[in-house]
Amino acid sequence: MTALLSLQGVSKRYGAVKANSGIDLVVDPGSIHAILGENGAGKSTLMKLIYGVESPDAGSILWKGQPVTLASPADARRLGIGMVFQHFSLFETLSVVQNIALIVPGRQADLARRIRALGAEFGLEVDPEAMVHALSVGERQRVEIIRCLLLEPELLILDEPTSVLPPQSVARLFDTLRALQARGMAILFISHKLEEIKELCDTATILRGGQVTGRVTPRDHSAKDLATLMIGRAMPPPLPATPQAQGEVRLELSGLDYINDDPFGVSLRDVSLRLHSGEIVGIAGISGNGQQELAALISGEVMRPGDAIRMMGRAVGGLDAAHRRRLGFAFVPEERLGRGAVPDMSLADNALLTAHSAGLVQRGFIRRGPERAYTAAIIAAYDVRTPGPEAEAAALSGGNLQKFIMGREMMLAPKLLLASQPTWGVDIGAATDIRQRLVAMRNEGAAILVISEELEELFQICDRLHVLHKGHLSPSLQTAATSVEQVGSYMIGAGA
Amino acid sequence: MSISFTRRAKASRVAMLLAPVVAFCCAIVASVILFTALGKSPGQALYSLLLEPFLSWYNFSEVLLKMAPLLLIAQGLAIGFRANVFNIGAEGQLIIGAIAASALPVWYPMGDSAWMLPAMLVMGAGAGMAWAGIAALFRTRFNANEILVTLMLSLIAAQVLNYLLLGPWKDPNGFNFPQSVMFPDAALLPILLPGTRVNVSLLLALIASVLAYVLMRHRFSGFQLLVGGLAPRAARYAGFSETRAIWMSLLLGGLAAGLAGASEVAGPLGQLQRSVSTGYGYSAIIVAYLGGLNPLGIVISAFVMSVIYIGGDNAMVSADLPVAAVWVFQGLLLCFYLAGLTFIRHKVTWIRRKVAP
Amino acid sequence: MTQTRRSFLKTSLAASTALALPIPAFAQDGVLNVALIVPSPAADVGWSHTLELGTKALEAEYGDKIKVTLLENIAEGPDGDRIMNKTVADGNTFLILGSFGYMNGGLKLAKAHPEVSILHASGYQVAPNFSPFGARYYQGTYLMGMAAASLTKSKKLGCVGAFAIPELITSINAFTLGAQSVDPSIEISVVWVNSWFDPASEQEAAKALLAQGCDVVFSNAQDTPSVVAACEEAGAYVFNLNSSMKTYAPKKYLGVVGTDWAPFFKASVAAHLAGTFAGSSAWLGMADNCVFVADWNPDIAPEMAAKIEAVHATLLDGSFSPFTGPLTNQDGAEAVAADVTLGDDAILSMDWHVKGVTTPLPK
Repeated sequence: MTALLSLQGVSKRYGAVKANSGIDLVVDPGSIHAILGENGAGKSTLMKLIYGVESPDAGSILWKGQPVTLASPADARRLGIGMVFQHFSLFETLSVVQNIALIVPGRQADLARRIRALGAEFGLEVDPEAMVHALSVGERQRVEIIRCLLLEPELLILDEPTSVLPPQSVARLFDTLRALQARGMAILFISHKLEEIKELCDTATILRGGQVTGRVTPRDHSAKDLATLMIGRAMPPPLPATPQAQGEVRLELSGLDYINDDPFGVSLRDVSLRLHSGEIVGIAGISGNGQQELAALISGEVMRPGDAIRMMGRAVGGLDAAHRRRLGFAFVPEERLGRGAVPDMSLADNALLTAHSAGLVQRGFIRRGPERAYTAAIIAAYDVRTPGPEAEAAALSGGNLQKFIMGREMMLAPKLLLASQPTWGVDIGAATDIRQRLVAMRNEGAAILVISEELEELFQICDRLHVLHKGHLSPSLQTAATSVEQVGSYMIGAGA
Repeated sequence: MSISFTRRAKASRVAMLLAPVVAFCCAIVASVILFTALGKSPGQALYSLLLEPFLSWYNFSEVLLKMAPLLLIAQGLAIGFRANVFNIGAEGQLIIGAIAASALPVWYPMGDSAWMLPAMLVMGAGAGMAWAGIAALFRTRFNANEILVTLMLSLIAAQVLNYLLLGPWKDPNGFNFPQSVMFPDAALLPILLPGTRVNVSLLLALIASVLAYVLMRHRFSGFQLLVGGLAPRAARYAGFSETRAIWMSLLLGGLAAGLAGASEVAGPLGQLQRSVSTGYGYSAIIVAYLGGLNPLGIVISAFVMSVIYIGGDNAMVSADLPVAAVWVFQGLLLCFYLAGLTFIRHKVTWIRRKVAP
Repeated sequence: MTQTRRSFLKTSLAASTALALPIPAFAQDGVLNVALIVPSPAADVGWSHTLELGTKALEAEYGDKIKVTLLENIAEGPDGDRIMNKTVADGNTFLILGSFGYMNGGLKLAKAHPEVSILHASGYQVAPNFSPFGARYYQGTYLMGMAAASLTKSKKLGCVGAFAIPELITSINAFTLGAQSVDPSIEISVVWVNSWFDPASEQEAAKALLAQGCDVVFSNAQDTPSVVAACEEAGAYVFNLNSSMKTYAPKKYLGVVGTDWAPFFKASVAAHLAGTFAGSSAWLGMADNCVFVADWNPDIAPEMAAKIEAVHATLLDGSFSPFTGPLTNQDGAEAVAADVTLGDDAILSMDWHVKGVTTPLPK
């Protein structure tokens, strides 16, 4: 059997960095092939080479046995390669169907019908007429997947596709992928969720440091083995046991209502929540159910005077983000570039962004020495891979920047921390590290609210859980006494 | 084959140094063709345009004279531009500043108090701030676009000037001509360089440049403005007040423009007249952007623009160029320079298209 | 300063010949360098144009013994001052400053350079080598008033004025007096646009006057044909100052109160060359061959034309001045007693309108 796609000794370097070196990869028709690797292992570069975004420095790419040169994604699409990116390529000012019509031929009305049909079939519901800027990260990814499926490719590349789907929909997506596989489509599946890979994939190629470190059949190996191959050492130890000490109320939402001016936004209805010192509370739910709105209301980026929100015992509805931070609040937002960090500024200046109160400013003057020291401390403590404090934030990979922002906020030792998608895109080792630190903070008395789409993560670290669905918050659930299925049913509005 | 521009990871230093030089050469080549086509001697024209401003102390001092208001206003505007607050109405703030500064000498034409001049400068700066403050109020209260408001306020300022010069403030012995009395010596800025018209306003502009540098580089409030301009959502996330940024940007821009207006009437004009500004408020916008909105860059761009202006005047006198040809040369130089700037952040690559089999 | 600069240039000349770098213009033996500085772009019509025509006459007279540099669109104020200084530094010894706003800078320059002679338009300051000059437009506008009165049906005349300075006020007053000499009931409305060059406002002003019912309009000191064209379009008679704009109003052009600066410029240059230039106020009228009327509209009845010609003759020989009493001002008070003729000083500083001008003068 001729391989659908095979790579022979493919290498790519950026300056001094060998992103890929001597990669051999064989994807058979009708197979689901996993690419496993930590952030920075070279997965993204490899996909860019296959999808024609970059050209290899050495080695050759064969499509159905014939050598090909892929000068652009258009070439790749012509061959029958489709890709769903982790970072979306959608125009914010266009609607979903308009975005899709840019690449997929056909009348918009027909496309809208097909979008609804696909959405219903694969649990990828999205309003074709909605404007993209009003969509959450999760909804945007659904649009990307639909756009690819509409082109009916022979090879589909999916970059971390399940991270935004609820468990029920993951199962359905897997059914879909298997159905596609049955029709002869090959799938390159990039994920760090080892259980999913074990469940779905026929073969896995494991990358580390730009090189292939293993080719395995995932079903035959334990998750622990896979992780060891991936990170080159044994898995980090499990998290410490949950203490039960609970202190004063640090955050209280009582009957919070919020009417969204944006027609495509979500309004919040009667949201109530209590968060004490010494506990971690998680908010589960599929992206686009009010998470953005809730986070902005708690952080003070959106202000609504009144006492529906209380922090450290004070009504903070009328206080802006800076005031709330002065009360001991810190926040890690979902978007890293442009919100959590200024892309064109150095890491040092990005540390100053929220950590200015940590002695980095004196009588209105920026103290460059302490600023650098603080930044260097974050970089060292949170293992941020970067040339140094002078590097621009935009030059960091998503996971590294997330580590930096988490580090910046956690080093402020806040009384109340809100973390939205704390480990999104961060590799397994670093994610475990971040979770351990969150638990450590909790043990020292901090109150932590985690908004996440990763149930695994929430179940791992949270004392209690709420589920957000269409702007409505579920009752508090004791994590220890709750099952994944229970949470899942709340996530699709079938709970209680 | 196609050309594509890709963003460089880091600004190219070579391109940064080369851009002005290449722009300059291109502008020279283009204008040699232009001047020859006009039947004028290109050598003579370029000599007057580019060399003459440096060849005599007088000409050079005139460059410095022209530079003072441009530099002052551009520094003020650049602060706002970096915070994404677009004060387009520096012209109006300059006029109002000139008017406020003129009040004292108009009311006390025989005044000889040592306090008159400092009071004029304070009044001019204050009035410029107040005028720009109107736009800040409208923006923060009613979300009115500051570009439009500042621009409209410029037109109003010009009419206020007209009203005063045609009515209450016109020189009683001036045969109804629209201008004020000549100011007494106590209302005039001291000359900085003896034998020239360069006055201490150049010093004020240079001090303003240092202050702007300190603000944008070392002050936390300057950093907050920068964040607001580069990533507004990050500023909201960090809790940097947008209202504060708008007020600060407009007030500082107005202060600089108002001070420049006061310096013009107390400097080379010596009276309030209709041509108190020859478009300094608008030219300063170009100066600010040519200088990359960087306080040091603006010092250079203000100097270069002044050289171009003075050279243009020279070319009309000495090379017999029509004014339109001078404008074309100035335009060419700016266009080529801006085109050159693209290469600092972007690199050009030739893509050979290969069709996949 | 000039000397050091020249010697520098001479020494650098040898080095620059290889590059074919030319020498900037400076006074060569026997050639008079003249600079004309005007505030607006020199167009084909209007004030700057007539000044340029005057310098053309100089070139015709002196040939290659004279070199005229035209500097247009020079802002009044510091820029104007610099240009003037530059022209003198470049060896120009005869300057014509074409706008009032150049006065203070020009006067300073005259004091610093006694060898330079300067003519300055519209001003009132005099120095030994600094002469203000102006035209007695009022002589011509008086005749236009007569013609206008014979043609108006609404008995309402209009005027678009640039600035309310004496020069323009006298033109309007004489226009009114000329019209009233034919029909005492005639009234005149004035709109001031407060600009020498603002086609949009000028056109708006003309339309406002036409809307009020004015059917003859005086375009007072506009450098653009905006008012003239607007009136032609609306079917109202119109006249203007300085140079003929008949091509913009072929049907309704009443005539032009023109100016010819050639005789004055020639005489001044001759005096400068002879070393006898003496600063004095030159206020030139019909008798000086400066102000003239032309391009009369054929609609004017022959008998009216004859009457106008008769008055024209008395203006030419100096036996008549429009500002001869009794004259009443706008408030109805006596401004000039019977049989008294206003002297030049009184006319040059006139700040009142005669009865019949309905618009109050801006104060």
